[in-house]
Amino acid sequence: MNYTFTLRTIYPYLGELWQAAAVTLWLSSLAIVLSIALGAGIAVLRRSRLRLLRVLGAVYVEIMRNTPLLVILYVVYFAAPAIGIRLSSFVAALLGLTLNSAGYMAEILRAGLIAVAPGQFEAAQSQGMTGWQVFRHVVFPQVFRTIYAPLGNQVIAVILASSLASAVAVEDVASWMQTVGSTSFRFFETFVIAAIVYLVLCQTVNIARLLIGRWLFRQGATR
Amino acid sequence: MIAYLPLMLRAAGTTLWLSWLAMLIGAFGGTLLALVHMQRIAPFRWLAIAYMEFFRSVPILIVMFFAYYGVPLVLGLDLSPFAAATLALALHASATMSEVVRAGIGSVGHGQWEAAQAAGFTWLQTMRHIIAPQALRVVLPPSIGVFITTLKESSLASIIGYIELTRTGLLVRDSTGGGFAPLLALGVLYFLINYAISQIGAALERRFQTGSRIETVGAMA
Repeated sequence: MNYTFTLRTIYPYLGELWQAAAVTLWLSSLAIVLSIALGAGIAVLRRSRLRLLRVLGAVYVEIMRNTPLLVILYVVYFAAPAIGIRLSSFVAALLGLTLNSAGYMAEILRAGLIAVAPGQFEAAQSQGMTGWQVFRHVVFPQVFRTIYAPLGNQVIAVILASSLASAVAVEDVASWMQTVGSTSFRFFETFVIAAIVYLVLCQTVNIARLLIGRWLFRQGATR
Repeated sequence: MIAYLPLMLRAAGTTLWLSWLAMLIGAFGGTLLALVHMQRIAPFRWLAIAYMEFFRSVPILIVMFFAYYGVPLVLGLDLSPFAAATLALALHASATMSEVVRAGIGSVGHGQWEAAQAAGFTWLQTMRHIIAPQALRVVLPPSIGVFITTLKESSLASIIGYIELTRTGLLVRDSTGGGFAPLLALGVLYFLINYAISQIGAALERRFQTGSRIETVGAMA
């Protein structure tokens, strides 16, 4: 128990930390945006008139929600070369994260779509609204209100999950902690620093969504 | 590949054991944390909130790295990969479970506490005979979800060298010439286990018909 906490040995590695933090931020931002797009497609698929498409969407969601992200990452990382595609670590990690997160996004968005009563589409149409107007003024405000909180949770989940990219050789914050820790034998310090980076990222999202939510959902603010 | 299937099934057992143990410790820890969180004394409450926010905002992988590589350096206490993985998984599960338990206890009407007090029940008796049985109905279905998350997270133990299902799949892949089949088998095994468990959860939810679903944070793993 005579371990002394010292950051002096870590100083030389701080430059790499900024790079690693940028990788974590960039990877998770891309994965969030892409998985919202893919998730929206799947959510729509699950409301299709064709039974086959509905089943396909449900199967996708169940597979993604019941398989560990790490296994999905390995499958993408090792399978791509097997079928002749060369993916960089970053692209493989992005693909795995996006595919996995889309399964959760699809469920979040589906819950949002369910919240809009079918009669409202007809009512809006009978008012002579165009498809875009129905989406912009009727569907979107209600869907957004329903998905706002779970969407925030999922954004945080993706940031945390992006740490697994280090398992397929992406040089992110988790990978920084391990490499610097094992070269300097300062695992406590690298852990504290890496934890602070993730804490700051996640709590920024957390606090921002509280403040934005309070501002957006003031009484009658969505009209 | 087929020859390795019994090996992978046994490894699936190891994964189940690891996640079950972590979940058990996590459920106890989470209940304790929920009770601390409900105390009137503010510093206790802050401590519980700080604990929860910390484990909600830090990836379990780096907690596992620290438990395995850092704890021996800092405390001079060597943890095996199994112990380090169990510790990290349990710490993370307890943070989520405390929220689930708190919501469960909160779902029991305040009038019942007062009624029990009026009937001369002590705090422990109220908890044991009145609150816990009712809270359990609300707590159980989302606990299944937390268990599935823990089971998926247990795959991270492979990164610190514990030979569970994922690590076994990778080893089988190495010894069969780097094929694709072991990874697919890995995915299928995890899916079957988790899907079966999630069906149990759905059945429990139907049985108890708890309208209030508890949102758990960070279910992606």
